[in-house]
Amino acid sequence: MLLIPAIDLKDGHCVRLRQGLMEDSTVFSEDPVAMAGQWVEAGARRLHIVDLDGAFAGKPKNADVIHEIADRYPDLTIQLGGGIRDEDTIAGYLDAGVNFLIIGTQAVKEPHFVAEVCAEFPTHIIVGLDAKDGKVATEGWSKLSKHDVIDMAKRFENDGVEAIIYTDISRDGMMKGVNVDATVKMAQAVTIPIIASGGITDMDDVKALSAVADEGIMGAITGRAIYEGTIDLKQAQTWLDEQ
Amino acid sequence: MSSLIAVVDYGMGNLRSVSKALEHVAQSDQIVKVTADADDISEADRVVFPGQGAARDCMSEIKRLNLIEPLLKAAEEKPFLGICMGMQVLMSHSDENDGVSCMDLFPGDVKFFGDKLNQSGEEGKLKIPHMGWNNVSHKQSHPLWNGIKDDNRFYFVHSYYVEPKDEKLIAGQTNYGIDFTSAIARDNVFAVQFHPEKSAADGLLLLENFTRWNI
Repeated sequence: MLLIPAIDLKDGHCVRLRQGLMEDSTVFSEDPVAMAGQWVEAGARRLHIVDLDGAFAGKPKNADVIHEIADRYPDLTIQLGGGIRDEDTIAGYLDAGVNFLIIGTQAVKEPHFVAEVCAEFPTHIIVGLDAKDGKVATEGWSKLSKHDVIDMAKRFENDGVEAIIYTDISRDGMMKGVNVDATVKMAQAVTIPIIASGGITDMDDVKALSAVADEGIMGAITGRAIYEGTIDLKQAQTWLDEQ
Repeated sequence: MSSLIAVVDYGMGNLRSVSKALEHVAQSDQIVKVTADADDISEADRVVFPGQGAARDCMSEIKRLNLIEPLLKAAEEKPFLGICMGMQVLMSHSDENDGVSCMDLFPGDVKFFGDKLNQSGEEGKLKIPHMGWNNVSHKQSHPLWNGIKDDNRFYFVHSYYVEPKDEKLIAGQTNYGIDFTSAIARDNVFAVQFHPEKSAADGLLLLENFTRWNI
């Protein structure tokens, strides 16, 4: 299982939010590129970047920082989400060296868009489904839909997506632990790998997810925990690699 | 008259995804049973042999549960599908854990990607484990490939790969730094390195082809 550090971008800074609320944000670094370097040093094999401003605006807002990270670390696998809503945006980021684009809101608003971009950019698409109480949220989590997250996930199984990122909004940034049961249910329900996200706080959470990783959990995204130091990225990934 | 598909549970890996996928594609008269019981394996009409984790732990659990003989017998007699570790332990020997003797159904070894990747100069670009989707090229036609296009992608997560002595066993090949064997076939045994239960439609189709495979 891969432990994937997250860098969330707001006004060019690296921040952490609580439950996705822009009003409840803490700036952890004014230099996201240096932050990326720190995670690379700690042994990160993949980086999760969210353009928060982009998610709310519906189009890229922090492209220059993202381009710089991709330039500086060409061997680092980068998955990027936040305002990825059209083919030109995807093509631009792929050219810049981003490896995977994460489709969130657009997957819910226009599900056929996922199949289209998978056909046009095969092997480069991930679908991100963020849920609160099992229902999918969109647009930077400002809107809660009536769609059941597992039903939604199954729609994309055969489009050719690399994985589905499943984020539990109520746990995100709260340091209260990961929702293992919901994650396992999602993993068991879909025939492609999932990436867990939201609430991973300490090694207990890492171990709990690792124990069920073979249900199809290929990775876990971690944010606040590595910024506040309750998880040591290097130690955790080394432990995971030994399993 | 129902037909039994035994999914062998020797405590190495969660089998829910595999058994659910099989249930989903099984024929109407087929029952899928997750079991560690030797009698179930002998009575089954088909056997699926999955597995995750290290070779040494897999082999020690298989031995502890007295499953070696029933498995080898099943592999002689009925449609038998090995998945991931369930493919690797069919070989003679694995280099994992400083060397592990395996079931020796197929002469050959299990090698570590790490050495080869360093030699090929891919170090730093290709990581271990090999984790992700990759193309599987069909090296022989086989009922389990029915409806699956050559070179389609399946989902892999492994650090070791099989090297059968007899090249005629090779049913599928994949590239990750080097070309390695991703599927083997002989008589009523078919074994794959990738995870069909996590490979979307093609994976389910392979499992469905297995449920229909009559030898």
